Amino acid sequence: MISERFKKIVLKELDLDDFDFTDETTANMVPGWDSLSHIQIIVAIEKDYKIKFKGIEILKIKNMGELQNLIDSKLSVAGAG
Amino acid sequence: MFQYIDLNKLKLLFVYDKTDPLVFTSSMFLFAFFVLLLLYRLLNKSKPARIYLIMIFSIFFYYKASGIYFLFLFVVSFLNYFMGKWIGGAKKKKIRLSLFLASVFLNIGLLIYFKYLNFFIQIINDVRGSQIAPIDIFLPLGISFIIFKALSYVIEIYLENIEPVKSIRDFSLFIFYFPTLQLGPIERASKFLPQVEDDNPLTKEMIGTALFLIMSGLIKKVVIADYIGINFVDRVFDSPLRFTGVENLIASYAYALQLYTDFSGYTDMALGISLFLGYRLTDNFNAPFKSLSIADFWRRWHITLSSWCLDYIFKPLQIKFRGMSIFGNALALFITFLVIGIWHGPSWTYIVFGAIHGTYLAFSISTKKLRTKFYKKTKLTNSKVVKFLQWFITFQFVVFAFIIFRSQSLPMAVDMLKQIFSFFHGEVFLQFIDGYKLIFGLIIAGYVAHFLPEIIKEKIRQFVINSSVITKAVMLVFVIWLVVQFRFADLQPFLYFKF
Repeated sequence: MISERFKKIVLKELDLDDFDFTDETTANMVPGWDSLSHIQIIVAIEKDYKIKFKGIEILKIKNMGELQNLIDSKLSVAGAG
Repeated sequence: MFQYIDLNKLKLLFVYDKTDPLVFTSSMFLFAFFVLLLLYRLLNKSKPARIYLIMIFSIFFYYKASGIYFLFLFVVSFLNYFMGKWIGGAKKKKIRLSLFLASVFLNIGLLIYFKYLNFFIQIINDVRGSQIAPIDIFLPLGISFIIFKALSYVIEIYLENIEPVKSIRDFSLFIFYFPTLQLGPIERASKFLPQVEDDNPLTKEMIGTALFLIMSGLIKKVVIADYIGINFVDRVFDSPLRFTGVENLIASYAYALQLYTDFSGYTDMALGISLFLGYRLTDNFNAPFKSLSIADFWRRWHITLSSWCLDYIFKPLQIKFRGMSIFGNALALFITFLVIGIWHGPSWTYIVFGAIHGTYLAFSISTKKLRTKFYKKTKLTNSKVVKFLQWFITFQFVVFAFIIFRSQSLPMAVDMLKQIFSFFHGEVFLQFIDGYKLIFGLIIAGYVAHFLPEIIKEKIRQFVINSSVITKAVMLVFVIWLVVQFRFADLQPFLYFKF
């Protein structure tokens, strides 16, 4: 499931009003999500959640669901710490 | 009658001769490929036999161009097969990373040794004033294409996008595959390998498309590229100072067309030849001179190289520099295009070519927001005038960078630009057309064909697919006849115009 907070960040960065995101949504399905806005979205997520991804983790992401999982895993580590 | 056949000459057809490689446009290749296809059809019940047949033919193809260095194919194949297997099987992150770095290091090491070592020695000599002698190194055919193709396989495994291939035979077919050996396309394992497992049935659509591609490739390569190259473009680029600015300018546009028709003609043939064997390859070109921006150009020009560099160089750099906002993107683009430049060969002209495109793109990305705002404010977004200007400016930028790309050295590129800007002599233009009617006609015809709507090209392809066997044969014979006329035509005389 894509969280509201995550969805809001993506919509804001892409300047979109709304979009029906699912776990399987990939960048090329979303208008305006190119390689440049991709990195802006990543940076915005890192800022908003106050987390830091590793380069290889970002490269491996294939869809929205995987990105959500990555955020969740960072948050749980941060929470546990 | 057999006593008249000189056996020694016959033998020469099968041994390595660096002046006579098995290029797609040679009659020897056509004959050899015909024999291969016959055997391939005969073996249609046995998948392994077909695979081994293509592999043996590929090794022969490589041997004809590179002699004993056909072993290079085996080295690349074994190296990457086992590295891929070990990376895929490694449990610990550190071991995965070490194995991955080792395979990148070894692949790039091979490339540097064969292609760039003497260039680096030259640079050291220039900088330090030393006299280190260059090393006599043989350059194996298509090495940059083969290494990049192999590297994409280990990178994709490292990124967990694909699983390592189980069969070393199938993987070797991917590396050896002769239609891609000389000039790509830089195929991805994820697209090629599933086709090895398929039955590759040859449909009517595939036969028609293959014929269409081979015919269009032959015309592009021999009738346009080779002919305007030998008879005009080469002469001007060899000694720009002997020609007026107007001739230098025409040669620049002619070269852009020559390079495109040469490379895309070759690629069409590679795709067509491969289709006859049942394998679909990735096209490298999509009407590149129709681009409306430099970024658009790189989505249409040498697509398998630019997407390779986008995925494996630009993206990691962009992630690395993400703290620097738009400047990080610009820097990542610039470095990526420097690599694209040097990938073309050990020469400053290629490096500068890459730097120019890197600069174009870095500038474009840094001003993108500003331009979008401007178009919105002036309500010019998607207007025809803006689109025309975007196309026009992009085309000039592309041709300008190609002048550097083609020049024998940077000073000669400067000579050429000097001639264009300060020794133009526009009055020579009409004499030029008069003296070089065929050349000029071919340049115009080439560009007109390029700018035709894609739907027309698609209709011609459909026509070839749906035509009868006899019509197909007549068309092919006509194209071969045409190609022979141009291939063996006398050289056009050198002309000097009065001004």
